[in-house]
This record gives sequence, structure tokens and C-alpha cells, in this order.
Amino acid sequence: MKLGVFVNDYKSTVETVERLTAEKLGLIFIQNGVFHAALKENGKPSPLLDKTGNLYALSEDLATRGLTAADVDSRVKVVTYSDVVDLIFNDYEKLAWL
Amino acid sequence: MADIKLAFVIQRPPYKSETSTLGFTHAISYQVVEMLLEDGQNVIPTVCLVGEGVLNLIKDQKAMENYGVTSVESHGKNSLLVDLDMLVCKEDMERFGLAEDRLLDAEDMGADKKLQIVPYAEIQKVLEDSNHLLFF
Repeated sequence: MKLGVFVNDYKSTVETVERLTAEKLGLIFIQNGVFHAALKENGKPSPLLDKTGNLYALSEDLATRGLTAADVDSRVKVVTYSDVVDLIFNDYEKLAWL
Repeated sequence: MADIKLAFVIQRPPYKSETSTLGFTHAISYQVVEMLLEDGQNVIPTVCLVGEGVLNLIKDQKAMENYGVTSVESHGKNSLLVDLDMLVCKEDMERFGLAEDRLLDAEDMGADKKLQIVPYAEIQKVLEDSNHLLFF
């Protein structure tokens, strides 16, 4: 299963994502999910960033919250809406919205 | 006659819901309450930002450009403009790795007030001194 997961909240989704397994797992951080990509709580990046190598954060949602690409962990690729559409159609056969 | 002290505690992050925005707008509209009080009695509001609530204060939010809505930053700046005391939890800023220069101010709007970054103990004291606590 190739599963793309839209992570759109900051705290409430961590445990759910940590339990998910897939042949290919992508985490697409949108809305308040982008805080996972940009914040280092108590100096530590979000545990979700260790879950997979396929990490994306939506640039528009970063900018809305006063965050820039410079704030984002180097493991996360900053993408546009257009890039997200490509991910949906080309990279993942199933999608989940948390 | 004793004044009425209100603490507006904003603990939720911005944009996912209207919660934090409502915290600011309720605090800004505190003067309306004074119409219901005795002559000479005042409302003294304090806005406290704790936990993920501190994320509302990151400056340069591009909400109008991306979502077509007024940014939470604007509501925070308007709160300073109407001279609300705004206390920001120092420990939570450190927890999220936010430096003071990442936070908004309203100097460009002519506000005299600034955000006050304080230890949680100081916020706790405000909560204890308040007549009513309103959590958002």
C-alpha cells in the first residue's frame, strides 16, 4: 500500500501516525500540521519526521503562520499546491486525512 | 466599587479553528461589558497566551494572501492597539524555540503597548487575581 497522509493538526495526530505502516508512506504537512515541520519542541524535532523519508510541507500554510522554508527541518521538502496535486496523482494510491 | 478583572487565556494554535481568534476579539470587545456595570466600575482585561497559544503571535503571517482572511497576527496587533495587557508564557516560547524577535508588535499602528514575555508563575498570579477566566 502506498499511503499519503495529510497531517493537518499539530498535536492530536502524532499517536495515530506513529502506528501507521505502509510500503511507502508519505506525510504531507498542511494547515497546522506544518508546525511539525518547523518547530523544535524542547529542542527536538517532531517525532513524525523520523517516521518516513517522504516528508512534505505546504509553503502557503507555512507562510500563513509566519514561517519560512528556513524554519523547516532539512528532511522536509517544501511544496506548493501544484506539487501536492502531483503527489496525489503520481505517488500515492491511497490518501488519508488526519 | 471593585473593578472586574477578566483573564482571556488563549491556548489553541491559529487557523485550524476560530478559537484563538475569538479569544482576541472577545478581549478587544471588553468595553461593551462596562455598559452593564455600575457607574465608575471598570473592566480590567488581560490576555494570556500559553501552550500552543503562543504560536498565534508569530509575525509576518500571510493569511490574507493565502486564505483571504484577516490574520490572527492582525487581531493580536489590534489587541495591543487598544491597550490590552498581553502576557506571553516565557517557558512555552522556549519550548517551541521561539525567540522574542519572531513575535509581532504593533508599533507600525502606533500602539504603545508591547507583548510582555513573562514566566508562567506571573500568568498564574493574573489568573488567581481575576474574577473570571475565559479559555480559548
